[in-house]
Amino acid sequence: MSKIYILCVDDEPDVLEVIVRELEIFEDYFPVETASSADEARAVIRDIEKSGDHLGLILCDHVMIGENGVDLLISMQNSDFTLDTRKVLLTGQAGLEATVDAVNRASLSHYIAKPWSKDEVIKVVKEQMTHFFLRSGHDTLPYAMILDPMTLAKALHDGLGGDR
Amino acid sequence: MNTKRKMFGLILSVAGLLMPIFFDIQGLDFVGEISLGIFVMAACLWIFEPIPIWATSLLVIFSQILLLSKEGPVYLFSNPDYIALEESVSQGEDMESLFAVPSEALEDEHLLLYDEEKRTVSSLEVDIIEDNGSIWISSEELAPGALIVIEKDHWKVTHEPIGFQNFYNTLAHKIIVLFLGGFFLAAGAVKFGLDKNLTRLMLRLFGTKSSFVVLGLLVATGVLSAFMSNTATTAMMITVVLPIISQLDTGDKLKMAVALAIPCGANIGGIATPIGTPPNAVVLSALSKQGFTIPFGDWVVLAFPIVAIMMFITWRLLLIFFPPKSKRLELKLEGGWNKSPKAIACYAIFGLTVLLWVTDKLHGVSSYMVAFLPIALMPLFGIIEKSDIKKFSWDVLWLMSGGIALGISMKLGPAEWLISLVDWSAFGAFGIIMVLGLVAYLVANVVSHTVAATILMPIAISLGTSGGTSTDFNYILACVTVGIMVSFSMLLPISTPPNAIAMSTGMIESKHLMRIGAVVGLIGYLLASLFGYFLWEGMLPKPF
Repeated sequence: MSKIYILCVDDEPDVLEVIVRELEIFEDYFPVETASSADEARAVIRDIEKSGDHLGLILCDHVMIGENGVDLLISMQNSDFTLDTRKVLLTGQAGLEATVDAVNRASLSHYIAKPWSKDEVIKVVKEQMTHFFLRSGHDTLPYAMILDPMTLAKALHDGLGGDR
Repeated sequence: MNTKRKMFGLILSVAGLLMPIFFDIQGLDFVGEISLGIFVMAACLWIFEPIPIWATSLLVIFSQILLLSKEGPVYLFSNPDYIALEESVSQGEDMESLFAVPSEALEDEHLLLYDEEKRTVSSLEVDIIEDNGSIWISSEELAPGALIVIEKDHWKVTHEPIGFQNFYNTLAHKIIVLFLGGFFLAAGAVKFGLDKNLTRLMLRLFGTKSSFVVLGLLVATGVLSAFMSNTATTAMMITVVLPIISQLDTGDKLKMAVALAIPCGANIGGIATPIGTPPNAVVLSALSKQGFTIPFGDWVVLAFPIVAIMMFITWRLLLIFFPPKSKRLELKLEGGWNKSPKAIACYAIFGLTVLLWVTDKLHGVSSYMVAFLPIALMPLFGIIEKSDIKKFSWDVLWLMSGGIALGISMKLGPAEWLISLVDWSAFGAFGIIMVLGLVAYLVANVVSHTVAATILMPIAISLGTSGGTSTDFNYILACVTVGIMVSFSMLLPISTPPNAIAMSTGMIESKHLMRIGAVVGLIGYLLASLFGYFLWEGMLPKPF
């Protein structure tokens, strides 16, 4: 069975470490990968694609050395493999123009402003991963424990979830 | 997740399919061996789930058309030995031709002819004249050069093959259409809020006292899940209830009682009608293959008492295990009836279909035919549109189709072979039902309910038809009782989708679910045994 990944991108190792620790509860269900630049993120995405797996969500900083986060998200929106991937900005420094770009051209799913709280990140990741499942049509039930119950239940009701 | 388990299942299933090629299995002919191989493959894939269960079902049908059908390559390319007929003498006034044939080509004055082009064997009656140990035959339909089979025990000769269309037919089996009718009703109900409004009405009857709210949720979920999928019903109930119970104190066990009442109600409520849950359909399709029909209304009459009693017992148990702290719980449900013409048409079609279903014995029109009423009328009035059809759980229909198809090949030997592995004489007629039910109950806790029922049904039927058991073993009773017991398998979060949804709310932990699931499951199993023994036997047709 193919795996569904979460990818965190930030050029500050300390920040990455904190985020990964906060996303610990997801590890049993979704492997969490990290990258410290847009290029490294692309390499990780290519590896995921090659192994036949999926990228459910990217949690991305904006201001980074080299290419910025919003441009990475836009390029992901233009690629079939990462079209359904939920795109979340986690940043304190994205200006209005970059943010507008992210919404209009990368279909930004959510914006988390720094400083963030652990509860907020977990809630957003849960909700967004649930949306990924609903968009991409993966079977939700094996992951029911880690997805957002209301979003999931609404979708199973509207989508006429079947018995087995 | 469980990658090793999946690999194990995959390897086992391939080994199962190939096994008949390498081993000669005592008591099974070639066709029986292939059928057993398909069964082992399907069972391993269904149990270990390296691929989705519906994908396994489709693989079953593909294997069958390939390996078992009259038109398939195995049948076409495996041929008995044959020789060409030589003319020897002509005799009599009309110079009738006489042919010399070896004795192994003849069976009861019949000669087996082989058609090289069609690769088929046909039988021809001939006159036999024996002379000095050599055999001569005559027939007007024979010409020199005709091919005659000299390997009479080849499986192509002994076995009447099945056309591939028979396996495809399972995709549109009447039970599948009945379920599809249910899908249309459910889709309409969801689209126009019928389910939520019925919930509102039902819950209002039970007031606001905590204990009665729990009962109300059990009953409302149960009633809806008798007509909609248990999964969609549970999901709807959770969306209604979760925002309210999240507000309760952390220590209030009412949360747990409510979060557990919903999946329990859905699992039990599914028993109430033939379309309530797929295992019921598996039972009906297995029996219809034997020529027995249980009318929709009869099923409801048979199942209703146990459903009602189990609801009551579950309610009491929930209150004992999870005593509520809050005395009252207000479930304020918003919304009202949609009064648009489409909505009213939808409600009317829903009501009419359900009415015609439960009264099928009175008016005599089969529930399978009634099922096409919503299928035809809902699209006609624009109630169901293309986007709605796309949401249907087609996988569930295909899962069932594969199960029905597997039943066809199980009758080619494997079912009887499997039951011969166990000495059933130690159990009484009803003891066998208890044993089968226990196996089904245990298996269904860890695999799909539909799969558990699918695997057990052909075995129950063969036990009745093969005569290997005591004469009063009633396989119709066995199928119904075992099918109902399967629905009580709700021990683990993975046992049923409603359980998984309830777990996702975070209101309960596995141990809470297992506590109620174990007790309700055990009581359900025992109660179904009692009902089967004392009541259902008299309500069902008898196979003998």
